[in-house]
Amino acid sequence: MADVITVPQVQPVQPALRFLRVIPGVLLLAAVGYAGKLLEQNVGAYAKAHHWTFPNIEYVLWAIVLGLVISNTVGIPEIVRTGVATYEFWLKAGIVLLGSRFLLGDILKLGGVSLVLVAIEIAGSLAFMTFLGRLFKLKPKLTTLLAVGSAVCGVSAIIATKGAIEADDEDSSFSIAAILALGALALFTFPLIGHALHLSDRAYGLWAGLGVDNTAEATAAGALYSDAAGKLAVLVKSTRNAMIGFVVLAYAIYWASQGQAKAVGNKAAFLWQKFPKFVLGFLLISVLATYHFFNKDQVGALANLSRWAFLLTFAGVGLRTNFSEMRKQGLRPFAVGAIGEVVIAGFTLALVYGASKIFGW
Amino acid sequence: MGAETVGAKTRNRWKLSLDTWAVLVAFLLALLVRTGVFKHIPW
Repeated sequence: MADVITVPQVQPVQPALRFLRVIPGVLLLAAVGYAGKLLEQNVGAYAKAHHWTFPNIEYVLWAIVLGLVISNTVGIPEIVRTGVATYEFWLKAGIVLLGSRFLLGDILKLGGVSLVLVAIEIAGSLAFMTFLGRLFKLKPKLTTLLAVGSAVCGVSAIIATKGAIEADDEDSSFSIAAILALGALALFTFPLIGHALHLSDRAYGLWAGLGVDNTAEATAAGALYSDAAGKLAVLVKSTRNAMIGFVVLAYAIYWASQGQAKAVGNKAAFLWQKFPKFVLGFLLISVLATYHFFNKDQVGALANLSRWAFLLTFAGVGLRTNFSEMRKQGLRPFAVGAIGEVVIAGFTLALVYGASKIFGW
Repeated sequence: MGAETVGAKTRNRWKLSLDTWAVLVAFLLALLVRTGVFKHIPW
């Protein structure tokens, strides 16, 4: 009976009411995202008309910055919070639709290379973060959450692991705050480093997919560099996401063997439950596109739908990042996360550099 | 096991995850594009 949880009796929220609650926040995401798109078009044109030297700032960055400014100045009112939280939904729908722009052969070719790099990245990151957690004398379960968040896929991995290893709420809040803060920093530093090192779109896309933890930030960091880099960053990040079940299962078994978590019963069911379904959706749309289920115009329409979904995502990335709330979470886990992220970024950059030499990218 | 516990368990079994909803909505949109309901999506 261990898996039966008695829930307190609460009034169920009507689906229609739940839908209505989402609308204000989704409208805010759309407004911020669209404002970013308008700024991209108009600021560049205005600067050109007045003969100013002004860098071309993509809508991705405008949307994130606008969201950050709102979140960290006036704050996010309660009425829009539920809708703003849907940015993850738009991200995943956008990734599935992006599958139409990949042919299956490309996925197998790039996915094969990225799978090897992802395996090395996950093993290296887990080992290093565990070492750092011990060095800084963090609680073992907090170390596990930070390690999984850095190695696999940010917030989703932390939430999945928290349930499986029965970690404290406080530990997961620490880890999520550290991963989000570092993801926000990566958004600005990765493109700068990529340009400074003159990385090709392919090398940069691989690096962003391997080195940035949260899927939304990895997608944005890729898109900030170029469209091609953004596509590849999503593919590599999705490969990392696909590994989540295996890593969480391994930790669940480890903590159960220590007598500090429930034993895992059906391992196949556990893996399926943790497997990110949007990766399957992405692959299926790609199979359909490969076998010409969609004509050229329809692929273009699906790609644009994907861009609109990402527009809402990028606005959400800015809106949900609140630096003062992150500061409250304390310095030590953040320091461990920051040191780990810098080392992992360097490690993954070296991996990509090695791969680009081998494959001649 | 109380009736509300069984009810919650049954409800959870049929509750779709965010991932699954995202996939379903994306496929619905793809179908609408494929069948010509949405002919052109501007950007």
